[in-house]
Amino acid sequence: MSEIAAKAPARPKRRLIVSRLVPYLLLQALIVIATILGLRLLQPSDPEDFALSGFSLKEGGTTRPVTLPHFASSRYSLPDPPLYTGAFTFRSGDGGWSVFLPRFSNAVEVAVNGVVVLDSRRDANANRPDRNTPQIAAIPSSLLHDGSNEITVRLFVWGPLKGFLDTVYVGPDAALRPAFETRTLLFVTLPVAFSAWQSILAVILAIMWLMRRREPVYGVLAAAMVLGVIQAFVPPPVPPATVSRLAGVLLATAPIESALIVVFSVLFFGWRWPRYGILLFAPGLIVFAVGLVAGPPLPRILFLVLGIPTVGLSLVLMACITAATVVRRQDAASFTIGCAVTIVLTCWVHDMLSVFEVITNERTFVSRLSYSAMLVAIGAGLTWRFARALNQVDSFAGQLVARVREAEERLKANFAGEEARARAAALANERTRLMRDLHDGLGGQLISIVALSERGQEGATITEAARTALKDLRLVIDSMDDIGGDLMLALGSWRERAAMQLRPHDIALDWRVATPQGLPLHPELRPWHVIQIVRILDEAVTNAVKHAAARHITVTIETHDDGRGPYGVISVADDGRGFTLCDDGGAGGAGQTARGLRNMRSRATRCGATLDLSSDESGTRVRLQLPQVFPDSDAAAS
Amino acid sequence: MIMTDQGKTGEAITILLVEDDAPTCWRLQDALVKAAYEVRTAGTLGEARSALAASAPRVLLTDLRLPDGHGVELIRETRRRFPDTEIMVISALGDEESVISAITVGATGYLLKDAFPTDIATTVRDLVAGHSPISASIARFIVRRTQNSTEPPPGPALNTARLTPREIDILWGIAKGFSYAEIASHLGLSRQTVPGHIKNIYRKLEVHTRSEAVFEAVQQGLIKL
Repeated sequence: MSEIAAKAPARPKRRLIVSRLVPYLLLQALIVIATILGLRLLQPSDPEDFALSGFSLKEGGTTRPVTLPHFASSRYSLPDPPLYTGAFTFRSGDGGWSVFLPRFSNAVEVAVNGVVVLDSRRDANANRPDRNTPQIAAIPSSLLHDGSNEITVRLFVWGPLKGFLDTVYVGPDAALRPAFETRTLLFVTLPVAFSAWQSILAVILAIMWLMRRREPVYGVLAAAMVLGVIQAFVPPPVPPATVSRLAGVLLATAPIESALIVVFSVLFFGWRWPRYGILLFAPGLIVFAVGLVAGPPLPRILFLVLGIPTVGLSLVLMACITAATVVRRQDAASFTIGCAVTIVLTCWVHDMLSVFEVITNERTFVSRLSYSAMLVAIGAGLTWRFARALNQVDSFAGQLVARVREAEERLKANFAGEEARARAAALANERTRLMRDLHDGLGGQLISIVALSERGQEGATITEAARTALKDLRLVIDSMDDIGGDLMLALGSWRERAAMQLRPHDIALDWRVATPQGLPLHPELRPWHVIQIVRILDEAVTNAVKHAAARHITVTIETHDDGRGPYGVISVADDGRGFTLCDDGGAGGAGQTARGLRNMRSRATRCGATLDLSSDESGTRVRLQLPQVFPDSDAAAS
Repeated sequence: MIMTDQGKTGEAITILLVEDDAPTCWRLQDALVKAAYEVRTAGTLGEARSALAASAPRVLLTDLRLPDGHGVELIRETRRRFPDTEIMVISALGDEESVISAITVGATGYLLKDAFPTDIATTVRDLVAGHSPISASIARFIVRRTQNSTEPPPGPALNTARLTPREIDILWGIAKGFSYAEIASHLGLSRQTVPGHIKNIYRKLEVHTRSEAVFEAVQQGLIKL
């Protein structure tokens, strides 16, 4: 059971690999065929009418007839190069004549009738064995004479590659030049254009990497491109070069570059770079080191032995990596790169076959060209990906802004709702307090008015009760007003009402405020605090009027501060006859006064204030000490 | 005291009392007649207008809620036609809503309906003598409006922009229950100048501006544009 379970996922996986890999490999095979066909088709056509193939080769003292194209043996010495001698027939009247050499390796010196008309060694591009540079030279008409003319080609060869001389064309310049121009465009101008493009991409990728260090893939590709550009523009390590040692060192660029491309593809496809992968750089570094120490031709030999296979190995590795990625991901990027690698690999194989003379009739190296094209394509793709990522970031930022706005609006709505709820709650609280206050004061007084009128009481008593009710109503209304935490504003109104109450009794109200400010500000002061305080003061004044027979009432308002913040003290003192206090602080009698005093105390407690009563025959004094901070909740009320 | 006042002017001070509640009207009338004022009464806006058409009173005391209209209209008309007439509003509770709206059309104070008879007489006497009374709660209402707040507090609209800092200081003093003498000493004024300041405050709170006058004139067809 468990075996089946273990095998079950493996089988679909294998089937998946097969179902994905086989079509991919078939496609790559098609691409290989297409590439080969393309190379055949794109082979520039030369003006065969003017071809010279039959030459006699004088080499090492022996002379033998040869047919071009011809491979000359590899050698490391420049003196006494192989000398190809041929003849052509000149007919005057065809305009100026030229000699056109589509392909040679490594350098040629062409003489017509014994006069040198072309020395390719002066052209740095032509000295590059990988560039397929053609050469053309006009033959001065004075050199030519009707009939047979002699042409000699000295082929300079520097090992380890064999020398190569393709068919030589001699004919009217107008007939030869188009073929030359085509070859120049393909094998000289195009590589330069690719290299320029590569250098621009190198700069762009380097900047990207500098700005985004955590993505080394850009940096690796930039480094590879820089090496490619250096290789393209630096003179080749051949004898005419003045800085041959530097050039020898720079031979190392190709293997290092190819290794870097492998690193790039590993990183690009999100694989882990294996530790032994560093070995891939070893051939390049060896060539580099040897180039530093030894002069030519050793670096060139090493390059051929180590460098070129490294490039091939790198291409094969890349092909494997992309194939694996295609199987795993089936995405456009890996697919495209895979196809490009196949093309480059085919070109590389083609070049190898050419080097080993399997393909004998030509020696056109195309891998460098195709590789450059691939790099440019990869760079463009990366830039495109980067731009798309930027767009994604933009749209993400846009989405984020929209989301934040939405959330903000929701929050605002919530907040508004919360605020409305809080306001409603506060309003309900206030209403409850107002009802309680009206019930405590006005309600009771109106009921006593009803009771008094029903009993046919004296008018004065009813008047008294009604006036008290009115006074209480005014107090409740007054305390609803916003006084901004300044209790003095409430006391100002109270003073008027108290004075009005006292005037008929001929009691003088003496109002003493210690400072113009009066009392400290209390932002936490609420209407219900004000009502309690004013009721305490009312009770004190009423007691003085009703029971003490006072002539003067003095209200003193002071602010004290004993280090813990200011607090107010309001005192109401009369010059009446006073009363006896019980132990519990209540009045001696069990009548209204006692109840009034109890009420005053409980009201003071509810506002966090302290009430002190002192009474003797010289008068009564009520001292109300306000709290530093008024309590928020009316705990004592419940 | 009253006799002396009347002696100065040489004739009885005429008061037009506009109050629709008969017992209240009797009560106020009794108190004023006892103080030797000449009192005419009106129970409606219409009656009050015909009484005004007959002759201009020295003092107009009017309730705000009348059976056929609002006392504010009567105050505004009287103020325009008889600038010398002192106007007071009769209020049950002295609440800001009624008093301030009366002040903005030209009233200079209020009288509580349950005031003691002596207080009624004294208030009118002071008013005639040029002492516009102002209560602590009204002063408080005005000064609260002079404080900077983002949204206007509830209640009738009030333009306090023309009040001077000194006048606002005086209003603060009144609102906090200080007497005129105490206010004068706090602010370094003469006690006698305080009532004048209060009169000015009333005048400034009146919304009878030139542009409003022009507007009214256009409304009544006196000016053609």
